[in-house]
Amino acid sequence: MQQFVDQLIQQGYFAGLPKEVVYAVAMVLAALVVLSVFVAPLAGVTSWLERRVWARMQSRVGPNRVGPQGILQWIADGIKNLLKEDIIPTAADKVLFPLAPYIVFVGFLCAFVVIPFGGSLIVADLNIGILYLLAVTSIVVVGILMAGWSSNNKWSLLGGMRSAAQIVSYEIPAGLAVLTIVFVAGTMSTQGIIQAQGWAPWDWFLFYSPFTFVAFFLYFTAALAEGNRTPFDIPEAESELVAGYVTEYSGMRFLFFFFAEWGNLYVIGAVATILFLGGWQAPPIPWVTDQPVLKGILQFVVFFIKAYLWVFVSMWVRATLPRVRVDQLMALCWKYMVPLSFVCVIGTAGWMVVWPHGNRWASIAMFIIGVIVLGVFGKRVGFQIRHSRPTLYLKPYI
Amino acid sequence: MKALAAYVRNIFETVTTIFEGMSITLSHLVRRPMTVQYPDRIDKPVQETLPLRYRGILEVDMDICTGCLACERVCPITCITIGIDMNKETKQRSFSHFDIDICKCMYCGLCAEICPTGSIRHSQEFEGACYNPAGLVRHFVTKPVSLYKPKKGGETDPTMAKKAEIGQKYLDEFATPEGPGGAGAGEG
Amino acid sequence: MSEAAAPQSEVFHTEDMTISIGPQHPSTHGVLRFVVRTDGEVIKDAIPDVGYLHRSIEKIGEKCTWHGYVPYTDRADYLAAMFANQGFCMAAEKLGSTEVTRRGEFCRVIACELNRLASHLISVGTFGQDIGAVTPFLHALRERETINDLMEEICGARLTYNYIRIGGVGYDITPETCGKITVFLDHFELIVDEYNRLLSYNKIYIERLVNVAAITKEEAFQYNLVGPNLRACGVKWDIRRDIPYSVYPELDFEIPVGNGEKGTLGDCYDRYWVRIRELEESCKILRQALKMIPKGPAISKVARKFKPPAGEAYVRVEAPRGDMGFYVVSDGSEYPYRVRIRTGSFTAMAIIDKLSRGIMVADLIALIASLDVDAPEIDR
Repeated sequence: MQQFVDQLIQQGYFAGLPKEVVYAVAMVLAALVVLSVFVAPLAGVTSWLERRVWARMQSRVGPNRVGPQGILQWIADGIKNLLKEDIIPTAADKVLFPLAPYIVFVGFLCAFVVIPFGGSLIVADLNIGILYLLAVTSIVVVGILMAGWSSNNKWSLLGGMRSAAQIVSYEIPAGLAVLTIVFVAGTMSTQGIIQAQGWAPWDWFLFYSPFTFVAFFLYFTAALAEGNRTPFDIPEAESELVAGYVTEYSGMRFLFFFFAEWGNLYVIGAVATILFLGGWQAPPIPWVTDQPVLKGILQFVVFFIKAYLWVFVSMWVRATLPRVRVDQLMALCWKYMVPLSFVCVIGTAGWMVVWPHGNRWASIAMFIIGVIVLGVFGKRVGFQIRHSRPTLYLKPYI
Repeated sequence: MKALAAYVRNIFETVTTIFEGMSITLSHLVRRPMTVQYPDRIDKPVQETLPLRYRGILEVDMDICTGCLACERVCPITCITIGIDMNKETKQRSFSHFDIDICKCMYCGLCAEICPTGSIRHSQEFEGACYNPAGLVRHFVTKPVSLYKPKKGGETDPTMAKKAEIGQKYLDEFATPEGPGGAGAGEG
Repeated sequence: MSEAAAPQSEVFHTEDMTISIGPQHPSTHGVLRFVVRTDGEVIKDAIPDVGYLHRSIEKIGEKCTWHGYVPYTDRADYLAAMFANQGFCMAAEKLGSTEVTRRGEFCRVIACELNRLASHLISVGTFGQDIGAVTPFLHALRERETINDLMEEICGARLTYNYIRIGGVGYDITPETCGKITVFLDHFELIVDEYNRLLSYNKIYIERLVNVAAITKEEAFQYNLVGPNLRACGVKWDIRRDIPYSVYPELDFEIPVGNGEKGTLGDCYDRYWVRIRELEESCKILRQALKMIPKGPAISKVARKFKPPAGEAYVRVEAPRGDMGFYVVSDGSEYPYRVRIRTGSFTAMAIIDKLSRGIMVADLIALIASLDVDAPEIDR
């Protein structure tokens, strides 16, 4: 984006203004555009989609009345929450209680700086891109702890503490899995990692070696844990602790936490796509990729689909799995995921020593194994559909 | 070595059971949902699909009510109130009020079972909500109605015969000690 | 997770947290309250506080006629209403020496086993939901909807049936309905299998439940547990087998008993697994009853003003939550003198305090769900 602004200055648009002011204004405008055009509708539509997907997996229909197929449900929810009374408990900390949702929100929003939307559509291509992303998503821990403590409620405190322990522990497997890819790509910049991959599936880092394959699942599980999603949603959606650290929040503040959670799903998907699935690399279709505008649109669409697929997978996982207990969560992290991620890092380093430019045959073999696994899964789904018949229709009008 | 085997087995079992569970939920995603989108997106009103035995809100057909007060006596929660007047000149007895408080009603069916003509019965109606409790007391006597005397040898008047038939059809649903009760019962 | 720290001492000064789970909480066991004292995550004691759903059903028994009290027994445990109906009617028949027709007995068995299916579906569904899996709850409720539709065809009501009357049953079961029940059973057994693959064999679910709050046989006897809670400890005791009533001696079914295959004998997983197997056994019983049902009247002749001679009767039925006992005293008039209902959930509340020492808050929720306590049964 910096080159774009520099071009505009050179063309004489902002004569008379110092460069820093132009940059500052451009940054604020970029943040506004990203937030209002992309993030806000995305988080809203994700919440609608989650409710619909959940409902269909539970043999029922989700919200389908507000707007066509209920797609405006999130706007209705937002308006409703804005109109609600903003309750602040008398004994809550006056400064920290209102501030906590904003810190969580800022922590998640800063991640959008380094997520590319297309070939050259990125807010800032930092050359420590991925490291910056991991660092900035940890700010949410501060926000959650603030929310839990300042509510002056024992349940919230328990929820906040658990969440802090969870997020901090799962940083490690996530970071190590990312490190595996940084080894292979040779750079931490997000655009650089994408450019080191190709558009074909066997050129993706997912199938680069068995170690990166395992690293992908480790990263995805750790990212789910960081985002407080089932099966790791102990802090928030308990049946025991009412709502964990968000218990005392009402109205728009309550919605901010969930806004951040749904938006975070997209960040998880986007990072998984950047690191493992080839990012915006699109196949070279003859008459599309010649023109820059169409190419940009194609790359944007490819990236969005790949990232949103993982959003769908996290909703799917949430509908399927029960929740793990706090001590089991810690055991899973420290006894299973951390050693496995170390194995992945060392294994990848070893792989790169043996085959410095990667082993194409191994990648193709891994890809074929992946396709076979998907095929087995599809057959199993077909078995489920045939085995227990669909819902029984005894009443005449169903 | 055993610990390592247990470790690997744990991971393997976790992955396979999660795989299985996710295939089940995905299969549900493509099946038809069970929801009936009442009240606006259904083919015919729900009331038409309910069986005759359905114990909805009580209704009384005053034209065939004999005034025996059996329902008022048997009700466990005293939600039925009946008043009968005697006209001194003509020695005619008629109803002054027949109120059922559907708020108190337990929908147990004891009053419907004991009625000799089937005039008090449960309808298929279940949408009885209203904004004030006074609206929940149903008054079935709007004009003075005289008591019904069931004629021996069947009813000759066609409208009355129809009403008596509807009442009798409702009563046939209940089980009786005489023989196989209920419509079409008798075989397992 | 200590509340305050004394900086200079070697041992941190800790305080216990006293938290109150309920009476409003997002768990569908009804209005229950537990006053829980914890040291961080680990519980020191959990004292149950009951009585939020007390409706004086036993006192109402003294005001109603014998026939008129049967709808009230529905409400004693609305998830297993048939069994309460049956218990009271059996006690009244014992006092009045009334015979029940054979077809009536079979209708009772069919209705009761259908109700057992519905109650166990709610139990395993809410168990999954308390552990965090939300989808199996909806699947269980979907099946229960079909059972409710069947009950609607049989007796006209979906939850509070008033079906089993003194001397037999209130409505006859038509052959059409019997056909629909058979169709449902064919579909349902596959659904139970799918439910198992979705939830029961899931490794996360098993890890949450095994070795949690194991109850030994001696403890179960001391605390007077009944029903699936007792059978999960390895005790083969079922009222239908050991103190037989109705036509159960003629039906062939097994009593599922916990065997600690996944963990300790008598832990939460055993209690859950016994209920799943009881679902399958009830399907077996239903199929046999539907085949064996004879022709004839469904109710025997009973006086309108039922006046049994003075005496007392204690009758036990195997309800889904255990042995439901009805102690009924008659003084010869048309109103009972005293009705006392003994329910399995009430005694199960007592063991929660003992078992909850040393487990975590999440395990307490699993424990309460595994004992399948039900607020209307506890408080009546």
